[in-house]
Amino acid sequence: MHFKDLEFTSQPALDWVAPYAAKAAHALESLSFPTKKDEDWRFTPLKTLTKHAFQSVNSEAKSVTEEHVQKYRLPESKESTLVLVNGVIREDLSSFSLSTEAITVKRLQDMTPAELDEAGFQTLVPVERDYFTVLHTATLTSGYYLHVHKGAKVEAPIHVLNIQTGSATPYVSSFRLLIHVEQEAEATLIEEHVSLDDSVYLTIPVMETFVQKKGRLNHLRIQRENKSCFHISRPITSLEGTAEYHSYTIALGAHLFRNEPQIIQTGEEVDFTLDGLILIDGDQISDTHSVMDHRFSHGNSHQLHKVVVHGNAHSVFNGKIFVRQDAQIIDSFQENRNLLLSRDGIVYTKPQLEIFADDVQCSHGATIGDLDPDEVFYLQSRGMTEQKAKEVLTYAFALETIENIEVESVHTFLVDEVKAYTSRNVASRF
Amino acid sequence: MLEIKNLHAIVEGEDIEILKGVNLTVKKGEIHAIMGPNGSGKSTLSKIVAGHPGYEVTQGDIIYDGESILEMDPDERAHAGIFLAFQYPVEVPGVTNMTLLRESYNTIAKSRGREEMDPLEFEDYLKTKLDLVEMNPEFLHRSVNTAFSGGEKKRNEIFQMAVLQPKLSFLDETDSGLDIDALRIVSGGINQIHGEEDAVVMVTHYQRLLEYIVPDVVHVMIDGVIVKTGGKELALELEEKGYDWLENA
Repeated sequence: MHFKDLEFTSQPALDWVAPYAAKAAHALESLSFPTKKDEDWRFTPLKTLTKHAFQSVNSEAKSVTEEHVQKYRLPESKESTLVLVNGVIREDLSSFSLSTEAITVKRLQDMTPAELDEAGFQTLVPVERDYFTVLHTATLTSGYYLHVHKGAKVEAPIHVLNIQTGSATPYVSSFRLLIHVEQEAEATLIEEHVSLDDSVYLTIPVMETFVQKKGRLNHLRIQRENKSCFHISRPITSLEGTAEYHSYTIALGAHLFRNEPQIIQTGEEVDFTLDGLILIDGDQISDTHSVMDHRFSHGNSHQLHKVVVHGNAHSVFNGKIFVRQDAQIIDSFQENRNLLLSRDGIVYTKPQLEIFADDVQCSHGATIGDLDPDEVFYLQSRGMTEQKAKEVLTYAFALETIENIEVESVHTFLVDEVKAYTSRNVASRF
Repeated sequence: MLEIKNLHAIVEGEDIEILKGVNLTVKKGEIHAIMGPNGSGKSTLSKIVAGHPGYEVTQGDIIYDGESILEMDPDERAHAGIFLAFQYPVEVPGVTNMTLLRESYNTIAKSRGREEMDPLEFEDYLKTKLDLVEMNPEFLHRSVNTAFSGGEKKRNEIFQMAVLQPKLSFLDETDSGLDIDALRIVSGGINQIHGEEDAVVMVTHYQRLLEYIVPDVVHVMIDGVIVKTGGKELALELEEKGYDWLENA
């Protein structure tokens, strides 16, 4: 398969995915590689992506052993860790022994086309959705189906750890999660992306999540990959009436991170959160294009998206909130706060509210600024050096988004990551 | 302890002179009050003593403990024992009072050759200071000034003063926004903190505060200069006559 503009050689698709790959090939005929002329990509340059020649396979994956995985294991998820290497499931490194009465886990490649259809595969993210979804489908090798059964309260957070490791040749890696949280069931999913080295790759994870009535899913998404890679993700979630979904995305890595979360309300009385924290420096590019789509009445939604920019880094935020005509009594909050701490950094922000109902409370705000000199002075007058004061304030800014994270080990390493980021960058300003 | 000599200052980058030759001498153990109408430069003077980077001293000097402090950063001044209670204390979400105070106390202690305290020791020490301003220990675990009422913020400033034990404290309109009970608590705290070895300079609009904290010296500042200095009776005279008679003097 050839991708116009993107140099890419593909292996023949695996049997299970072949029919979808064929569809992807067909869809490609009507899609072109995104450019700055596309509204959705206006501020996000892809030229660094097109200069690489990608291959869809990377044989290094087999060399990953327990020794590499050990430091990423979470004590809370001893019996609920699923490991993928370069998007390929590694059952030998996974450790999953939760009760099958509470949760079913299957590999997508072990499901029949009928089972996949029944599970809603490709309904929230159809093949032809966009260029990168097509590319995802063409390079898909495996993925997980997670099904939390009716009324089950899964205490242990489910840790899906996607490890990347490469060779000299840039490669593409895609994986997919298909998640069902049934009625009155509850679970926490930690989806984490890490790299073992500085290899160049393009990863395109796609998540299709369904939460049924009175179900509840907490979804932590942690992206702390190397600064050479490209990460383009599509986590799409559908919420039935009375369902709850709380998502926190913490992204520190990748040369280019493009995240397109979308939450669709398909019944009354839902409650959801879509918070994010982006910490970037050097020549990193981070782009969040989110959609919160209220299609029915009685919905609460909350989005706090925080970004810290150092160096030449470049951030884009486009947050759409839709309140459809029949969706009354919606309370929606959106705030995008950007801390721009270098002269050469760039921040674009665009809150975009489209409200067609009248009994609606929607607030939104976007700010871009440096640290407040009065705050710095306040801390200095209490004895902190200017550098320490700036570190503390940057840390405090970032902390707000992670303090709600209840999984202790994750909270701890994120605090360390934030501290490392702030001390590294604040120091470099002097 | 403090000698301000012919101090002239402008807002950084602007040509507007705010202080136009301030002279002020404060001795160990004294309490001073600087009064004056809005915009007279009282608050600016306190910020400049603490080292606010938004102002530039164009003439004159500030001598503290025998040395000029003009070249010192705000943190270095804090280490040397200068404290400013802010008129508008800054909210620092994500940093608890406890964290800020321990960081402050230990850096200041280190530079003044005092022992640093470990977390448990420090918490006990803080509890003794909380009583001075009748603050609940739960304050220690709340983010600095975040979601504090106006009165709580002011009390927190005085609490910080009690913990850090400065040698020279400027209290910038600590009384504004306080109801009568809070004013009683705050001034009671200040009276207990203040001793023979330290000095306090209160910047205020109102005589009200001086009923609780009796100053040794009262200054009137108008349009960037101190126009009159007297004893505590001067405050009463101002209360009665306002500032007009001095403006034309």
